[in-house]
Amino acid sequence: MEFVLNFPCFSILLAMFAAIISSVLKGRGAKILNTFVVSLVGLMSLAVLIFTVRTGECYVYVMGHFPAPLGNELRFGALEAGMALFFAVIMLLSLNGGRRKIKLEIAENKEHLYYVMVNLLLSSLLALVYTNDLFTAYVFVEINTISACGLIMITEHGRCIEAAMRYMIMSLLGSGLFLIGICILYDLTGHLLMSYIHTSIEAIVEAGTYSVPLLVTIALIVVGLAIKSALFPFHAWLPDAYGYSTVSSAAMLSSLVSKGYIFLLIKLMYRVIGFPIFANSKVIDVLFVFGIAGMIMGSLSAIRENDIRRMISYSSVAQIGYIYMGFGLGTMAGMVASIFHILSHAATKSLLFVSAVGLTDVSGNHKDFEQLTGAAYRNKAAGVAFTVGALSMVGIPAFSGFVSKLLFAQAAMDQHEKMLPALIVLAVSSVLNVIYFMKTVIRIYTPVQTGYPSVRAKENKLFVVTLICFIVLNVLLGMCSQPITEWIVQGLNVFA
Amino acid sequence: MNAICLLLVVLIPPLAGAVVALAPWRRRTHWMIFLEFAVVVNSVLVWLLLFNRPADTLTLIHFTGELSIAFRLDGLGTVFAGLVSFLWPFATLYAFEYMTKEKHERVFFFFYTLTYGVTLAIALSDNILTMYCFYEMLTLATVPLVMHTLSREAVLASRKYLYYSIGGAAFAFIGMIFIITYGDTTEFLLGGVLNMVKVGENRNVLQFIYFLTFLGFGVKAAVCPFNSWLPQAGVAPTPVTALLHAVAVVKSGAFAILRVTYYSFGTDFLRGSFAQSAVMAIVMFTIVYGCSMAVKETHLKRRLAFSTISNLSYILFGAVLMTPLGLVGALSHMVFHALMKICSFFCAGAIIHQTERIYVHQLDGLAKKMPKIFGIFTVSALALMGVPGLCGFISKFNLASAAIESGNLLSYFGIGCLLISALLTAIYMLSIVVRAYFPAEGFREETLEGITDPNWMMLVPLIVFVILIVGFGVFSAPLVTLFKDIAGGLF
Amino acid sequence: MEEKMNFILLVPILFPVIAGVFLVWKREFRKRRNLLWFVGTALLITGTFVAVNLMGGERRLTAFYLTKELPVFFKLDALGRLFALLVTLVWILAGFFSFEYMKKEKRETRYYGFYLITFGVLLGLDFSGNLITMYLFYEFMTLASLPLVLHSQTREALMAGLKYLFYSFCGAYLALFGIYFLIRMGNTIEFTPGGVFESGFLAEHETLFLVITMLLIFGFGVKAGMFPMHAWLTAAHPVAPGPASGVLSGIIVKGGVLALIRVLYYLIGPGFLSGTRVQKIWIILTLITIFMGSMLAFREPVLKKRLAYSTVSQVSYILFGLAVCERSAFEGALLHVVAHALIKVCLFLCAGAIIYRTGCKRVEELVGIGKKMPVTLWCYTIASLGLIGIPPTSGFVSKWYLGMGALDSEIPIFSWLGPMILIISALLTAGYLLPVTMKGFFPGEEFVCKREKEPYLMTAPLIILAALTLFIGIFPETVLTVIRTISGVCI
Repeated sequence: MEFVLNFPCFSILLAMFAAIISSVLKGRGAKILNTFVVSLVGLMSLAVLIFTVRTGECYVYVMGHFPAPLGNELRFGALEAGMALFFAVIMLLSLNGGRRKIKLEIAENKEHLYYVMVNLLLSSLLALVYTNDLFTAYVFVEINTISACGLIMITEHGRCIEAAMRYMIMSLLGSGLFLIGICILYDLTGHLLMSYIHTSIEAIVEAGTYSVPLLVTIALIVVGLAIKSALFPFHAWLPDAYGYSTVSSAAMLSSLVSKGYIFLLIKLMYRVIGFPIFANSKVIDVLFVFGIAGMIMGSLSAIRENDIRRMISYSSVAQIGYIYMGFGLGTMAGMVASIFHILSHAATKSLLFVSAVGLTDVSGNHKDFEQLTGAAYRNKAAGVAFTVGALSMVGIPAFSGFVSKLLFAQAAMDQHEKMLPALIVLAVSSVLNVIYFMKTVIRIYTPVQTGYPSVRAKENKLFVVTLICFIVLNVLLGMCSQPITEWIVQGLNVFA
Repeated sequence: MNAICLLLVVLIPPLAGAVVALAPWRRRTHWMIFLEFAVVVNSVLVWLLLFNRPADTLTLIHFTGELSIAFRLDGLGTVFAGLVSFLWPFATLYAFEYMTKEKHERVFFFFYTLTYGVTLAIALSDNILTMYCFYEMLTLATVPLVMHTLSREAVLASRKYLYYSIGGAAFAFIGMIFIITYGDTTEFLLGGVLNMVKVGENRNVLQFIYFLTFLGFGVKAAVCPFNSWLPQAGVAPTPVTALLHAVAVVKSGAFAILRVTYYSFGTDFLRGSFAQSAVMAIVMFTIVYGCSMAVKETHLKRRLAFSTISNLSYILFGAVLMTPLGLVGALSHMVFHALMKICSFFCAGAIIHQTERIYVHQLDGLAKKMPKIFGIFTVSALALMGVPGLCGFISKFNLASAAIESGNLLSYFGIGCLLISALLTAIYMLSIVVRAYFPAEGFREETLEGITDPNWMMLVPLIVFVILIVGFGVFSAPLVTLFKDIAGGLF
Repeated sequence: MEEKMNFILLVPILFPVIAGVFLVWKREFRKRRNLLWFVGTALLITGTFVAVNLMGGERRLTAFYLTKELPVFFKLDALGRLFALLVTLVWILAGFFSFEYMKKEKRETRYYGFYLITFGVLLGLDFSGNLITMYLFYEFMTLASLPLVLHSQTREALMAGLKYLFYSFCGAYLALFGIYFLIRMGNTIEFTPGGVFESGFLAEHETLFLVITMLLIFGFGVKAGMFPMHAWLTAAHPVAPGPASGVLSGIIVKGGVLALIRVLYYLIGPGFLSGTRVQKIWIILTLITIFMGSMLAFREPVLKKRLAYSTVSQVSYILFGLAVCERSAFEGALLHVVAHALIKVCLFLCAGAIIYRTGCKRVEELVGIGKKMPVTLWCYTIASLGLIGIPPTSGFVSKWYLGMGALDSEIPIFSWLGPMILIISALLTAGYLLPVTMKGFFPGEEFVCKREKEPYLMTAPLIILAALTLFIGIFPETVLTVIRTISGVCI
């Protein structure tokens, strides 16, 4: 079974090679290759997950010839493996859900390029998840950014290019800050491998020297990643990028790309800086404040929005706020809640994007609510799926959103000063979620006479099957949360 | 009986509803009989359960940690489950006749019976998490019923209903979290589950949280200022307004408040706190407010809805007295108000169905043409006013004596509010009765040509209810004794 | 054996109610004669039953329990006997008067139906043995008598009816507030002469009991037309058909008086009230009412309205007697109950007879009426003298006792102010009643008219009532012995 330990490395390389090969394939071939690769990565991650959960340990995989502290390493436990599996699943589902739109919206001679980007994205995500080396992380952050830009622009729509530019600028700003942070860290500690940095930092903290530079570093890294993951108030790029790109891109961007950065941040917190040190710095209070501000402001913007895709995008801003609020609590329980919410939000948001497209398709490609009236009757599967996603977002029991809300609330109870603000904002944000999501649900179920055609489930099997998978995933997260939280706790324990 | 039956009674209604909605039925009568049969069987099963209570808890799913979805039947649940399961078959029967004029009948009946299952689940919940889950489900299951006509008002009403209900639940959620954290257990135990050692210095915070929770669940119980959804939801077909917006849904809100007050936070902890005064003030205001609005309203169903708002706060008034007798008062008004209000709503529905008149001023002289309906309506009106000899008096008496016994000065004013509200009730109910029986001189009877009492499917439920109103009015001792046992923790 | 006979107590209550409900349900009789036979027989049979009950010894009967602590309980005591006798007498006489009077009115069956129901309810009120039973019948009295007010269904009648209803319920609920407390605080709610509370207990809760007493006085005072809640009376009584306004003014207002006696003298106890602020407030209110009623009557041109104002004033004589809390004043009050009932019914029946024959409603139209209808006007004159208090009529005796009682009492100021106002009001009474007689008998030289026919069914009741007024005035001991037994145990 030791063989399984090679899988993380294999999966990164596999995705990378698939990207290279795809560039010379035709669209169809690239599609098949991509599907194959994503599935394979998923299966490999599953194997790693089972293995690591069973042994309950964390493994280091040395890359190349140089041993630590000079060489490059991968490090993985249950958490990383699970995350990789989850990313693969979501990616597969998102791609399948938007397959028809990819065909329609992307010029035929560019289709294979799309899959190149997707493969690159996958490989960079996997690398972010598995790597134990700060500089490798930075490199893949950049790759990630570039491939994400590609995913946004690929439709060659004017708004998309503008959005991509915006995204690029903001992202590069973020990575710049991140890079400066890494530099300072390197300067302080002389290491790039995370575990070694951690040891040095502990020594520094113990000695009491360099406290200001350390704080600045933490702040730079956190802000850099926060910009990239669209934490309020750095979210300006997000609605356009998610709102106008092709649906698979939007789903992947919202549920994978930003989550990859967040996962990296978690890794930095635990593995580089050390959770106690991080929790004692003032940064988490700032994260907490921005988190709850994001929860409210994102929802408020979503309420004002008249375009379904942009509304869902703004909702992402709010949900990212939840995650950062969980970090801001600075406790283990808060962390567990945040990680669960990464999963839950990824599953839900991609479902919402995909089903929203199903709805706009039967409304003459209009995205404003006026035209969407009654869309759920024209495309029943999409209507049901959107409703499920909305309910999950609102936090209705039996869906994943409820569990994360529950976990957040329970986590908040441990933190005395942050308890009441967290709980009240949680409640208020739920109310706001109700307003815009339920408004949409009722709108799509309001019958109206229009000339738009209806879509039968039989005509679009792949779409329907994808939606069903999404719904099952959501309900699974909602109903069987116990093993999942246990897995997260186990993973976090061996994470550092 | 076996605890698995608890799950069974929750599942039968939705399944039967699904069969009705999905199976290819050849004739309307066939599925009608099937559905009525299923509902009756389920109710019988519930009543069998009530009399042979399974002692153990049925755990379905473990959420995280100690949190689980579980069912158990205790005293308070008995009352609510008994009430709901008694009313549902009759309401279904009534709905068959009423819905002949509406579209999408089978979908309607699917959600109608689904709601039955969900409401029972609320009654049978073992812990606060289960109750919360089904409480949210209830909202979702009933939205399609409110939206049924799909008219513009219906859509607006259901939207508002959703906002209010789920928004309220979001605040109740906070209370739930506090119970989970500060309680010894999440189960419902009479006297509360708070662990005083854990609570320690946080008494004030917890009392504030109780206040929030009260408001959260209070949204469904139409507490002022969160009540405007209820009159608006009156656009739904009458069987919905009658059963759901007078009994099942709104009483679920009241039931949830009873649960958190008596079984989670515990009355010892809350009594005499600022939270008690605050909620009592709100409740008292709602009592008077609801009635005053009812007097102003000229739309018949909306008038009854405002009356419901006020009467629900009677129940809550009993609840926030936070004494065993208060619980008795609350329970008796919960049951009796259900009977009275469903009766008056069904009468209103029968009038709408037979005459399509919806405003009070259109009812002149109708009593002559629909003597049975108006006779029953009069009885329910008198009962709502609290005329002795009818069941409304008993519950008001129980509430008032609980208020006196509690010795809280504010609750004395509460009695005053009850009586002001009774007077206003007299005004808004009897003005209808007087109009119908004594049309002003110069009234032309020819305009009422062809109007008759409805058929047996509508009349049978009404007659049963009216017999119960009178029956409990003159002889309520066993029921009130049962309530006292429940409040004393004996049952 | 004795137990079984107690059952008889229910018969006079139930019999007229059942007969009345039958009439209301039946709606139409083929021949008017049949209806009259039916009603006449029913009245007489009820009368017989009442007589049987009055002859017998003390009877007690617990019919059933509303809840455990609320038995519906009947008891026949001296006060009840007095009132029952009065009610029966007046009801039968006015009933026979109606046979003639109602010839010209529509919807006769319904009128008689509610007439009989009200009869039964009033007997129930008189036989009530405890607070809750009395309250029950008190509410029903309002409801049952409402159709009598509404009878003509003109807009004026409808408005008056609603006014009647809402004032009455307002009063009833004010009283109910006190009743809740009395039930909760006392060991028993059975009427016991002299009160059921120990003086120590009363002293301990003095403020509370003062508030309660005040509310009870105000509440029941509404029915008795006490200032400031008298406005309904002058609206409601005149619009009813003649005999109905007679019994409303003569008997139903006494329902409020009876309730006050029961509550103050049989539950709280007169000792508590005397010397308190509440007593003074009450006396002031009654005196204002007495004076104001008379003044308003003096100004009123419509005869029936004038009589209604007179009722407002006269009933407050009774209340004044009760408020003084002194033995002979109490006896005077009870005697005035009897006297005023007989007189006022007689006056209203006279007014009814005049309207029936001539259609004249206003006082100035009644010039020469004595020539047209001498018997009627003679009865009117005798009754008027009684009301003014001129010997040898019953009014004189009762007012004598009232005045004596007031002077004997040791309440500062009011012991002399009271009798003074009584006398002033008597002058005013003369001023508003006697002009009719004078103009009626002495219309002037040039007045020519022919005598109208006066049917026996009308004159006989009038003559009996007038004769009774004189009889009691000449032989007051007949009634006073009964009254003394009552006052003996109460004070």
